[in-house]
Amino acid sequence: MDIQLKRGLLDVCVLAAIKNEDSYGYKIIKDLKPYVELSESTLYTILKRLEAASMLTVRTAEHDGRLRKYYHITETGHRRLEEFKSEWKEIISIYQFVTKGDGVC
Amino acid sequence: MLKQEFLNALRKGLNGLPQADIEERITFYGEMIDDRIEEGRSEEEAVKEIGTVEAVVQQIVEETPLTRIVKEKIKPKRKMRAWEIVLIVLGFPVWFSLLAAAGAVLLSLYIVLWVLVLVLWVIEIAFWVCAVALLVAGVGLLISGETPAGLCALGAALLLAGLSIFLFFGCIAACKGAVKLTKKIAIGVKNLFVGKERTK
Repeated sequence: MDIQLKRGLLDVCVLAAIKNEDSYGYKIIKDLKPYVELSESTLYTILKRLEAASMLTVRTAEHDGRLRKYYHITETGHRRLEEFKSEWKEIISIYQFVTKGDGVC
Repeated sequence: MLKQEFLNALRKGLNGLPQADIEERITFYGEMIDDRIEEGRSEEEAVKEIGTVEAVVQQIVEETPLTRIVKEKIKPKRKMRAWEIVLIVLGFPVWFSLLAAAGAVLLSLYIVLWVLVLVLWVIEIAFWVCAVALLVAGVGLLISGETPAGLCALGAALLLAGLSIFLFFGCIAACKGAVKLTKKIAIGVKNLFVGKERTK
């Protein structure tokens, strides 16, 4: 897949993984596993990028006698997800145009 | 490999990156291992799932911008003494010219790489121009009744056109190769700075 496109998609995937409730690194990887295989290093980079874009915030909380980082989606993050949904409608209609007459749809 | 060994090796491998970056990575990977253990995996299994230290370090180095690594490298580790500053200032004509020369040599080597690619394109264009010229000349010669010379020119035109088509693919490949090499050089330069033991 085109690297730029994939990067954008992964960002959205991570945002979607925390959109309903705060989550932590390993849980995000597990939740995304059925859809996309994400390595720790890749996740780290995505989280950093999203934090820099203030689409999520990080807080450290105690869990079972150790510290764990929880990621919380911000208003900007929610907006990005909405944006993605409307963008995707456009992409789907382009896809349908591209495959028209291929007998695929 | 146990968690602490993994994290120690990671710390060593990342030596040369900004200290805050290293600490954050260590915390991140430590948490990842702990969460796996909590799920019921043994410590060794948990570490194994993260991948090898080398692979993790390599990915981090590739993702970290070169400027960030260099900035960390040239940051003085301690306050400089007055005589050191004086020495640096006095030595300026010497070290600056040496540094500039080294930089210029490296830069020119890199330019040579692209010049080679450029030369290929120039040859490619020359082939095309010659092919077209020979075609015109050949047709002209045929019309003026010089059949053998005309046929010869037409043949040469076709030959050059054919060669230039071949060369075109070669040019594209050379361009791609040069871009790939550039990326490799960038990663190589980063690796020069990261992971080496810091000599005090």
